[in-house]
Amino acid sequence: MKLKIDGIICEGREGETLMEVAKRHGIHIPSLCYRKGFEGLARCRLCLVEVKEGSRRRIVSSCVYPIKENIEVTVTTDEIQRMRKNIIMLLLLKAPNNSYINKLAEEYKVAAPERYMNPLDDENCILCGLCVKACEKMGTNAISFVNRGIYKKVSTPYDDASKDCIGCGACAEVCPTNAILVEDNEGKRKIWNREFNMVKCSLCGSYFATEEAYKLMQEKLNDNEEPICNECRKKIAADKLKESFANIY
Amino acid sequence: MSFVYEEIIHGYPKEKRYTLAILQDIQKRNGFIPREAMEYLSQYLGLPVSNIYSIATFYKALSLKPKGKHIIKVCSGTACHIRGSGTIKEELLELLGIKPGETSEDGLFSVEVVNCLGACALAPVVVIDDKYYGNMTKDKVKSVIDQYKEERVHG
Repeated sequence: MKLKIDGIICEGREGETLMEVAKRHGIHIPSLCYRKGFEGLARCRLCLVEVKEGSRRRIVSSCVYPIKENIEVTVTTDEIQRMRKNIIMLLLLKAPNNSYINKLAEEYKVAAPERYMNPLDDENCILCGLCVKACEKMGTNAISFVNRGIYKKVSTPYDDASKDCIGCGACAEVCPTNAILVEDNEGKRKIWNREFNMVKCSLCGSYFATEEAYKLMQEKLNDNEEPICNECRKKIAADKLKESFANIY
Repeated sequence: MSFVYEEIIHGYPKEKRYTLAILQDIQKRNGFIPREAMEYLSQYLGLPVSNIYSIATFYKALSLKPKGKHIIKVCSGTACHIRGSGTIKEELLELLGIKPGETSEDGLFSVEVVNCLGACALAPVVVIDDKYYGNMTKDKVKSVIDQYKEERVHG
């Protein structure tokens, strides 16, 4: 399937979203709640683009818009730029002290009206729901959206330490605004009001995962080897590669 | 008094789409949704507790805390507002010594402030359980509450 994004002819398969196709062709579409490997959530709305199909023009969220043959896409028009600015202004009111949102606002030259601004607000969450999705993908489903309207937030049931949580930190890892607090200290990890014991890497001795997350990983991979952290795994792989190339010459 | 939520839950097929119906049923018969019921339901439907909690906190009709024996709804819609529902609300809350959404200490009354009850001709209107009290005044509020306190109103 062929389509044009900003004048560049792109190739895509049926069922792919505009965002996926654009990413593959190296075309940047701004977004907060899109993450590779996740289906689009269409929550942050920064990925708005204009789609021209025949004589019809409309504005769509590229992270959930399935591509069509021969459409012409413009990533940024004056109208879309204005919309993005408005969205960023609202995000800035939601998380006025978040460094990432502030950086974004600076980049787009957006200032929030002062009379609506609470400078003491320490909220970082923009309720994009990526963390909820990540937790679902892990198969743990420990967190979800709670309440609604202005009281909406992401949390565990009753804000308690969830017995479903494995402390993997996937939620914090995907968070675009760094809103989820993970405290790692001397072999203990605190997240979502629960404390976990951590596992040491058998090679370098650094703590790298919680006992629960490591157990799940072992079960999924059907692996009974000694615990090895990501860094050491990379090192082993690199060493293997080096060895195999050394034998060629 | 023990409440058997198991019975209610088992009355429904094991399908995700019945989640809300089951929660509504529990709410109706028990006045609120106990934590254990949510955990039991999660097991029964094979649905994460977090999802059920999410639903239970989303809908205003579902409550996580025990509600009073009588639910008082005070309308604050446009018609009622104009005809002085503000003072009625204040009088009621002062009489019971609670805030909107709370339950009185004796466990008799819960007060909810709602946006319209569809009875604007009766403005200002107060609904207690399923009974409508129209053209409310400060004095009427007191006498109606007293009636309920003395349990002179049934059904």
